[in-house]
Amino acid sequence: MAVKKEEKYPVARRYQVADIQVSRDATPVKPSVVVNLVKKAKHPVLVTGGKLLKEEKLVEYAVKFYEKGIPIIATGGSSKPLIERGVKPQSIVFPLHYVTQFMLDEEWQGFDGKGNYDVVLYLGFLPYYLSRMLSALKHFSKITTISLDEFYQPHAKFSFTNLTANKEMHYQMLEEVLNGL
Amino acid sequence: MAFELKKGLFAIDEMRNVSIKIGKVIDEAEEWDEPMGPTPKPGILELRKWDHKLLDRFEPFYAPMSDYCNLCTMGPCDLSMNKRGACGIDLKTAKARLVTIACCIGASAHTAHARHLLDHLIEEYGEDTPIDLGPDVNVEAPNIRTVIGIRPRTLGDLREALDWAEKEIVKVLHSVHIGNEESYIDYESKALHVSMADHIGMEVADIAQIVAFNLPKAEPDTPLVDTGFGIIDKNKPVIVVVGHNVMYSRPIMEYLEEQGRIDDFEIAGLCCTAHDMTRVNAKTKIFGPLSYELRVIRSGLPDVMVSDEQCIRADLLEACKAVGIPLIATSDAAVRGLPDVSDWPVDKIVDALVSGKLPGVFLPDPEKVGQVAPLVAEAMFKKHGGDRKYRFFATEEDMWNEINKCTQCMNCVFTCPHNLRIDQGMAHAQKTKDLSKLADLQERCISCGKCEQACPKNIKIINVIMSAGFDQLYNRTGKTRVGRGPVQDTEIRNVGQPIVMGQIPGVIAAVGCPNYPDYASDLKVILEEFLRRKYIVVTSGCHAMEIGMTKDEDGQTLYEKYSGSFDAGGLVNVGSCVSNSHISGAAIKIASIFAMRPLRGNYAEIADYVFNRVGAVGFSWGPYSHKAASIATGFNRLGVPVVVGPHGTKYRRAYIGRYYKPEEWWVYDIKTKSKVNIEPAPDSLLVAVETKEEAIVQLARLAIRPNDTSLGRQIKLTHYLELSQKYLGALPDDWYLYVRSEADLPLKMKDELLHILESEYGWKIDWSKKKILEGPIRGFDAGFNPTLVEEVYEKYAGEKPPQ
Repeated sequence: MAVKKEEKYPVARRYQVADIQVSRDATPVKPSVVVNLVKKAKHPVLVTGGKLLKEEKLVEYAVKFYEKGIPIIATGGSSKPLIERGVKPQSIVFPLHYVTQFMLDEEWQGFDGKGNYDVVLYLGFLPYYLSRMLSALKHFSKITTISLDEFYQPHAKFSFTNLTANKEMHYQMLEEVLNGL
Repeated sequence: MAFELKKGLFAIDEMRNVSIKIGKVIDEAEEWDEPMGPTPKPGILELRKWDHKLLDRFEPFYAPMSDYCNLCTMGPCDLSMNKRGACGIDLKTAKARLVTIACCIGASAHTAHARHLLDHLIEEYGEDTPIDLGPDVNVEAPNIRTVIGIRPRTLGDLREALDWAEKEIVKVLHSVHIGNEESYIDYESKALHVSMADHIGMEVADIAQIVAFNLPKAEPDTPLVDTGFGIIDKNKPVIVVVGHNVMYSRPIMEYLEEQGRIDDFEIAGLCCTAHDMTRVNAKTKIFGPLSYELRVIRSGLPDVMVSDEQCIRADLLEACKAVGIPLIATSDAAVRGLPDVSDWPVDKIVDALVSGKLPGVFLPDPEKVGQVAPLVAEAMFKKHGGDRKYRFFATEEDMWNEINKCTQCMNCVFTCPHNLRIDQGMAHAQKTKDLSKLADLQERCISCGKCEQACPKNIKIINVIMSAGFDQLYNRTGKTRVGRGPVQDTEIRNVGQPIVMGQIPGVIAAVGCPNYPDYASDLKVILEEFLRRKYIVVTSGCHAMEIGMTKDEDGQTLYEKYSGSFDAGGLVNVGSCVSNSHISGAAIKIASIFAMRPLRGNYAEIADYVFNRVGAVGFSWGPYSHKAASIATGFNRLGVPVVVGPHGTKYRRAYIGRYYKPEEWWVYDIKTKSKVNIEPAPDSLLVAVETKEEAIVQLARLAIRPNDTSLGRQIKLTHYLELSQKYLGALPDDWYLYVRSEADLPLKMKDELLHILESEYGWKIDWSKKKILEGPIRGFDAGFNPTLVEEVYEKYAGEKPPQ
């Protein structure tokens, strides 16, 4: 059953206690807000990370995003299980570090040639690795970043709260986003 | 009356009543006939132009760890969204400054180590001690030749190189003061500069110790030594040495050899001192890298610890005290608050440590350390009888009491550098009495101990994890091939051409610390992929140890399966951190020995050569230290790209190019005397990847160079495409960019790829000849002679470069 009431969500808490030197924390968001942000986006994209190689459920959700029309940039080897399920990622070979560098370039036309992305969703990353990329985009770009991972990401513009203690709730929230798209 | 004569040849005749101070006497026969290049002993500015070439192409990428700057009293300043602070600095420049500081720290660590070692060795052996690195090494100091412009013949000659490095480090450090640079690009140039100096410091240190301590001299078949947690005979006194300067541990071995008692002791090391000890004496052993420090101490293995410098836990004394292990600190870089007992007689020092009157001493006298450490170890061993060794808890009940305290509050998870799910391991053990989930953590934990600081119940989490995974930990043993030092000139002569032409698909240099993102054994998986494919794999430091304790199903490590030769499919352990200079040195030697490029004071030309032709890629799967930052950045200036593991993003800066901007990918071609657009190879100089799958593909990808021959490109593309299909599930997005003609295509896939080029990329194909007519960025030209450096173009083309 989908979780709908925000009060059921755990408190947003940085995955790294020492990562406190943040001038602006991500807004913790519930699925409906993510849905609205994606719907309003002109050029959204989902970027998937290496955790998809270890967590089958995340692959399933990424496939559903794709089926809902959200293109995928696959990093960290996440392309392999996605391709096996019929997804055609826009890119498979560039690590997130490259992808972020490209996104920082306002002239970049995206992997699809339609211009840079305006709303970027992230799923399946090592939290500390994603954190640095979100920090770069926060300071040096206007892109709206949304972390859908189980660790709250303070450098994102929007992030799921901490769902580390309750995997089912994380899955339910992803489900709820997908249902809304 | 006094004359001061500077370096050179002089005839002095009929001079009386004069005092002559001679700086340096040079025999005529020793004069080096290689002409001096344009940049001997370069200052900050001399190679700035080269740096800007690189930085134009590889735009620095900044990933701030903090939004603030609090380095001065006008702060703290909020620099978020690239705002400026009170001093005027913006966020990008502030981060570039931090990177420069990190590189200064790394460079000064190696350089101070070199100074400490060199001064000591000159005092002990004399400044005229010749530099002899074996019969197969004539280019003895490629970094020093190229940067400093000298050919060092003796230990004394190394001073000149070290003087230069120290001067440049201070100058670059000066630049990070408030009010200096306002350009992040110029800070990056300084970071590159000081990191080049780092390779000089490393080269001095390793040459000096090879010569003075008679370490292996470029021998491929050095002995294999025991490596890992379970290597110790617990019935012997154990001396454990930790750090990076073998100067203090060598006398221990010498003393015990003299006494004929070395076999009565176990001498094992942690971190790079371990490597260098085994280079001195192959009877010594390697416990493991930095991540094994707490493992070893808390298991009660050492009867005495001897620390020197760098990459040692800053709570070493506390950790030793908690287990009752006496500590002998030796380096002035890490005195650890201990009393200096240099003037005490040996007996008094031993008594103070064994009785527990002092938990540790500072003893900077190497010879005394050699006597004190064995005596303390033996007395301590007699005192406790060896019972404590290999135990993290006195009883199993003690361990369960700790586990049962856990409330799954997650504080440990949130503070763990890897966010390991300690909570789940504890909960599973509580519910089922099954320790397997905790045991699994042992293989991924780096034993930093932050979790214990965060735990409100003060659970000894490290001990719990190590106890739970004890069997795996104890059995994680193997063999490491002793560090060999330099690569032979003869080896370079044999492989120079296939590397430059591309038939040897690349050189992977696995260097760095143990901050791995997942299982440490992944490093072996990554490297074996390349060894099987006949790349040359070179390693050093903590990575070299990790390789030595990961066995395959037949119980063999990679060292036992692959030769130690610098050749296709060879696995070369050069040694400790300072031995990394032999890896940059090997790249330089390719330019010199194979291509006959002059080295002397000729850095930009050599770096340009390496960048365009030598398919070498650095790889640091667990980057952690500042030294790793400067080592990598030094490789970058030499034109060698580096792939780092995901923790490497915390260095805050990367160098990543934009393949989709064709105007950024060009060279001067000396043959056709034209400016040529080229494929983006390599398209980054420093990039962090997330998974081992991604690391493997990127390493193959970044080994591609513009100068590859058709056969070489075909081989490199074969590996790149195969690895992408294997690990990413499909052909890589950018493979077509690297195709110059049909001869570049992997043979087995040629038809398929030609079809894709035609149908997906619109290339024109003559199918009757299976020939590409239109499409590539450029065609293949066997005489292609690329350079990015105007002066190099002019030198070889005899005219100004085209616009």
